[in-house]
Amino acid sequence: MEQVYFDHAATTPPRPEVIEAMLPYLRERWGNPSSLHATGVRAAEGIERAREHIAALLGAQPDEIVLTGSGTEADNHALIGVSQALRDKGDHIITSAVEHHAILHTAAFLEECGLRVTYLPVDGAGMVDPPDVRDAITDKTVLVSIMHANNEVGTIQPIAEIGAICREREVLFHTDAVQTVGHVPINLREIHVDLLSLSAHKLYGPKGVGALYIREGACVRSYMHGGGQEQGRRAGTENVAGIVGLGEAARLAREEMAWEMSHNAGLCSLLIRGVRQHVPEVTETGHPCQRLPNNASFCVAGVEGESILLNLDLEGFAVSSGSACTSGGLEPSHVLLAMGIPPEIARGSLRVSVGRDNTFEQVDRFLDVFPRVVERLRSMSPIVRAASQ
Amino acid sequence: MATPDADKTIDLRGTRCPLNWVKTKLRLEEMQPGKVLEVVVDDGGPARNVPRSVEAEGHRVLALTNGSGGVHIFIERQ
Repeated sequence: MEQVYFDHAATTPPRPEVIEAMLPYLRERWGNPSSLHATGVRAAEGIERAREHIAALLGAQPDEIVLTGSGTEADNHALIGVSQALRDKGDHIITSAVEHHAILHTAAFLEECGLRVTYLPVDGAGMVDPPDVRDAITDKTVLVSIMHANNEVGTIQPIAEIGAICREREVLFHTDAVQTVGHVPINLREIHVDLLSLSAHKLYGPKGVGALYIREGACVRSYMHGGGQEQGRRAGTENVAGIVGLGEAARLAREEMAWEMSHNAGLCSLLIRGVRQHVPEVTETGHPCQRLPNNASFCVAGVEGESILLNLDLEGFAVSSGSACTSGGLEPSHVLLAMGIPPEIARGSLRVSVGRDNTFEQVDRFLDVFPRVVERLRSMSPIVRAASQ
Repeated sequence: MATPDADKTIDLRGTRCPLNWVKTKLRLEEMQPGKVLEVVVDDGGPARNVPRSVEAEGHRVLALTNGSGGVHIFIERQ
């Protein structure tokens, strides 16, 4: 049975062009990019070309891109690097309650180290209110970190407004853009962002590579210590093939983003309309308009999201319940709880995230299978049976 | 000797070897043959190594001058 992959927010399949671009850097151009000889220079060329493609995708300068081992590392670098660089200025960080664990767990670590962290609330659509950012900033605030789009419910945050507030208050602004880079336009020449995290495997690149954009002049301490790679900003021999893959993925995303956004939005629109029509007692989660074009998320009353996920898997559909990183757990998603969704409803969360290779026929097949799966699970659910007696 | 007119200039002061040569090479690849690239590098190792790599790659070093805190290398793209 063909597996239909509807979990692009968890990871995306590397594009064939990306793999082709990487192969020479595994086979022939395997040198250490720090070496002074020609073998090293050939590897370094691949990295610098990739850096230019990544910078072009973001509207940044190549020297503002620091290559990392993951989006999580980029988030750690931003939070730890800024808080250490500016510890004489202050000890306060602001973030939101709906961030990825790469931010929340790093913030918790910094609290253990003595920093103070404000976790801003969100509304029912998962949106941070920019005036809340303004109100939370104190003269001890060194960083505001608000994600660009949420990985579970797809809500896109008003980062331009938040960035403008941070600039006015002279506080550094970081955004975790792992879900948006390559999927929605970002132009750092037009919006004020000091630091931005991205991950290659979310935009059809390889795993094990990410990047942190650091605006020229922003005060960030090195997070990894060792050699002088990345102009002294991130030690460790570079994952050359992976970086080349990220560069190619960025180049392709820049060329094809308009088409892909339209394609994904069409698929999600069909899917959401179909679910509304065929499955009763489903709550759509996230913002109705300010959302990722490839994300459809729901809470299905009376059933657990994990049960739906496993049953859909048996029917040949790969989806996710809440965050992929926590789908093994039974705790309701922290994102949905922060949005005010009751725990019993939040346990029925489901995320369908489509991609460039998905088709309308696949969505039609999903809409044939999904209502049957929900009906079958509800008929077995002790919650639903108790309610109907 | 008069300084050649540059079609493009890049400032690579503070950029270590071999990254300064890699960045020079990428800029040269974007230019048409006959065009002149001015590269500013730190004195010392970079000022010695970059011209050597430029010539090894088949381009022409037109001039080397000292000024504004670095060495200016004028390269004609071949």
